Amino acid sequence: MWQDTSTWAAEALAVFAKEWRCEFRTRYALNTLGLFAFTTLVVVSVSLGPLGVSTSQGTAVLPVLLWMILLFSAAAGLPRAFVQEEETQTATALRLAATPSALFCGKLLYGMTLTLALEALVTPVFVAMTSLDVKSPGLLAAVLAAGGYGLAAGSTLVAAIIAQARSKGTLFSVLAFPILLPLLLIAVELTRHAVAGDPADVALLQLLLYDGSVTVAGFMLFPVVWNP
Amino acid sequence: MLAPAPTRAGGAPQANYGYIPPVPTLRFENVRRRFGRLAVLTGVSGAVGPGEMLLVTGPNGSGKSTLLRCLAGLLAPDAGTIEYQEDGDTLDAAGRRRQAGVVTPDLAFYAELTVRENLEFFSRLRRATPEHGLAVLARLELPLDRMAGALSSGMRQRLRWAWALLHSPRLLLLDEPFQNFDAPGERAARELLAEHLAAGGLAVVANPSPLEFGHVAGHLDLGR
Repeated sequence: MWQDTSTWAAEALAVFAKEWRCEFRTRYALNTLGLFAFTTLVVVSVSLGPLGVSTSQGTAVLPVLLWMILLFSAAAGLPRAFVQEEETQTATALRLAATPSALFCGKLLYGMTLTLALEALVTPVFVAMTSLDVKSPGLLAAVLAAGGYGLAAGSTLVAAIIAQARSKGTLFSVLAFPILLPLLLIAVELTRHAVAGDPADVALLQLLLYDGSVTVAGFMLFPVVWNP
Repeated sequence: MLAPAPTRAGGAPQANYGYIPPVPTLRFENVRRRFGRLAVLTGVSGAVGPGEMLLVTGPNGSGKSTLLRCLAGLLAPDAGTIEYQEDGDTLDAAGRRRQAGVVTPDLAFYAELTVRENLEFFSRLRRATPEHGLAVLARLELPLDRMAGALSSGMRQRLRWAWALLHSPRLLLLDEPFQNFDAPGERAARELLAEHLAAGGLAVVANPSPLEFGHVAGHLDLGR
C-alpha cells in the first residue's frame, strides 16, 4: 500500500512538474493572469486611490474588489489546464497513461500554486494602492491561502467538465460561478474581518470545510468526467 | 485462432473449471457503437491470442478507429462485450487503457517539451523506466532533444511508436501504424511489431487496406 501511494504521488508530482515546465516555456497563463490582474488593479487604484475613500467604505468595498480581481484573473487562466489538453489532442495520451486521481491532483496543485502566486503579487500592490489598513495580516494571509485553494479546486473541476464541451467559455461561467459563490461570500467576509481586526474563527472553519468539500467532490467526480 | 481448450484422452473436451489462460487473450463479441443516428459499428466480433495479429480493414468511416478506441477503453460500446485477459486477470476499460500500447493518428504530445522530456513524463505516469522507450527511439532514429512541436509528421509517428512501447505492453492497438513513415522508419516499426508478436504479445492493427505482414492470424473486414 505504501508503494502504491508513493507511485501515485510520483504521478501527481510528474503532472505538476510538467504543467510548470510547459508554463515557463509558454508563459500563457502567467501573462494572462498577470495582465488581467494588474489592469484591474490600476483601474481600481485610479478610481479610488487618489480621491480617497473613507475607512468604513474601504472596509466594506475594498475586500469585494480584491476578490473580484482574484476571481476573474483565475477564471481567465485556470480553465486552460484541461481545455488545452483537448485542443492540442494531448488528452488521449493522458487518458491512456495517467491515473485519473493523480492527474487531477497534479492539475490542482498547479492551479493552487498559480493562484497563490497571483495573490502574493496582487494583494500587496492592492493594499498599497488603496491604502487599505489591514489590522490582522495573519488572518488575511490565511484567508488568501484557503480562499485561493478553493478557487483553484473549484476552477480545476469545472475546467475538466467543460474541456470536452463546445461552448467552453459560456459553460465555465455557468458552472463555475454558482460553485464559487459560497467561497467568495465567505472570503469577502473574512477579509473584512481581517481589515477590521475582528475574530473570525467560525467563518474560517466554514471556508476550510468548503475547501474540503470541493476537494472531495473533485476527486470523486473527476474520473467520471474524464473518462465518459 | 486461439489455443483450444484442454481435452482429456479420447478428444472429449475437459470441463472448464473456471480455466483462465495464463497468457493474454482478447475477445470481443457483437460490439456496437453509434454516434447519434450514425451506426458505426453494427455487431463486430473477433478474437486474438498470444503471438497473433488481427488485421482490421475497411474504407474510411467503416469504424476501424472506433473499434480500436473501444478495445483501448477510450470509448464505451453501446452493446457487446470486450474481454481482455492478462496474467489471469480480466481487465476492464480502465485496465485496458493502462495496459495497452496504442498508436493512433490523433495521438499528440506536448509541443513545448522535447522528445526526451515527453517520454520521461509519460514514463513516470506509466510507472515505467524511460530506458526502454529511449532504446526504441534509438532504433527509430529520433532526435531526443528536439522539441516535439518541431517534429515532422513521420517523426511524430516514430514518437507514437516509442510512446506505445514505453511500458512493454502485451497488447498493441495500432491504427494506421505505418502512416507517414519513410522506408527505414517503416522497416524499424515492422521489426518492432514482429518482435512484439514473437515475444507472445498480441496486436490489433487497423488499416484501410490489407497489409503485407507475415504474422496476420485473422482478418476482419468492416467494409462488408
